[in-house]
Amino acid sequence: MSKTGIRLEDVHLHYSSIAFKERSVKSLLGSLLRSNRPRMRVEDIHALKGVSASIEQGERVGLIGHNGAGKSTFLKMVAGLYPISAGNSEIRGTVRALFDISLGFEPDATGRENILYRGLLLGFTPRQMRSIEEEIVDFADLGDFIDYPIKTYSAGMQVRLAFAISTSVGGDILLLDEVIGAGDASFIAKAKRRIMKLVDEAEIMMLASHDFSTLKSICTRSLVFDHGRIVFDGPTDEATDYYLETIGLPA
Amino acid sequence: MNQYLSDVWKVRYFWWHLSMSDLRSRFRRSYFGMLWAVMQPLGLTVLISLVFSRLFNQPIAEYAPYILSGIIVWEYITATTVGGALAFVQADAYIKQTRHPLAIYTLRNVVTGLIVMSVASLALVAWVVLFFPGNIGWSWLAAPTIFPLIAMIAWPLATIMAYIGVRFRDLPNALALILQAAWFVSPVYFMDTMFRNGGLGFLLDYNPIYHLLQIVRAPVLQGEWPTATNYAWCLATAAALAMVAALLGKRSEKNVIFYL
Repeated sequence: MSKTGIRLEDVHLHYSSIAFKERSVKSLLGSLLRSNRPRMRVEDIHALKGVSASIEQGERVGLIGHNGAGKSTFLKMVAGLYPISAGNSEIRGTVRALFDISLGFEPDATGRENILYRGLLLGFTPRQMRSIEEEIVDFADLGDFIDYPIKTYSAGMQVRLAFAISTSVGGDILLLDEVIGAGDASFIAKAKRRIMKLVDEAEIMMLASHDFSTLKSICTRSLVFDHGRIVFDGPTDEATDYYLETIGLPA
Repeated sequence: MNQYLSDVWKVRYFWWHLSMSDLRSRFRRSYFGMLWAVMQPLGLTVLISLVFSRLFNQPIAEYAPYILSGIIVWEYITATTVGGALAFVQADAYIKQTRHPLAIYTLRNVVTGLIVMSVASLALVAWVVLFFPGNIGWSWLAAPTIFPLIAMIAWPLATIMAYIGVRFRDLPNALALILQAAWFVSPVYFMDTMFRNGGLGFLLDYNPIYHLLQIVRAPVLQGEWPTATNYAWCLATAAALAMVAALLGKRSEKNVIFYL
């Protein structure tokens, strides 16, 4: 097996409009009956339009663009969640994505049990999870609460635990949608260090962010997205300048 | 398809956990807990057999286990089918986040149901052992084969329902009607002799539900082995459903995420 890499050639991605048009048999039949009457057409959303990029081992890539430009769609496509409608995509290596970390807690189970459950969701075996459990407990730093049911946790504590679990194991390809800031000030500093460790360990890292200072400090290369297209691909400094210029702000 | 099944096996810890957590939440904070899995069908059986044994002039001790076996199997089929129709919709948070084979979200219902069903079967076994010890024999070895058979039928069936249910949210409502219809033409509560005497024997002979029920009823209620025809019908049904589910999955598994 060859080394980690991402190769995309003229990739298109459509969100099928059927999904939000005809939700029921009734509206399907209704639209047949009224077919001669003019009505609003809902088109498929063309979210990625002919995206090509090649990312090699060791690269740290930033994704820049306004809201809805296609950054998150791009990341989810690389993660294999969204199917592409045309083009070629070749992704080699295990993908680890941190998109929505606050998912799948069982409120009646204890923090410790939830660590196991979340690990199983990510595809680990109970044995693997036991070996990293202590490290996660230490990092979340919830004291005795770790053995209490999740429903007794404050919102901040839940986020801390979720973060500690999600970032305990990395992968060849790390995908981040905004660096996650969680909890109080001291925890945010700790969280940043932990993310950086994951970033260092990953073969390839992609980060979608609006925070240029973070992008410049981590990413050597950046892709600028606009309406589903990559309009700039190059060093991050130039990419941010290009982006600011297109939206009419001084660099 | 083998690749697909091996992917399902790879994440076995995850769907096993989902099943167990469904079980836990179903009986959480209830005084009788898992005992409800026995008491529910048993209570229903007592009520129905009191009425039906009078109506149809059947001796109650004999008729009750017939109904109980019907309830246990039928409950399993409806629970997995209706649960299957909602399976993808309920698992949307997982589906949007990870790329596991989608069939694990219907397998979850299938496994939970199997556990509830095996607990409920204890009541049936106890009843027959108490009242008809004469039925006990080697043929009883055939009875447990209902578990793999029913799972092989229910899993693809639930998966088909999940694919349709995610596209047409009308399905759960429609299913209530369809299942009621299927119940009427199947010997779930009504004795098979009633079908035969009424000239409706074809409703049994060409009905997979009848053949599935015979896998338990023949040994436990009559002390006989199920016939090869019974097994052939069950396996053929499972194979046909599996084929449809595999085709559906091949066509639309990737697009399910857009419908959630």
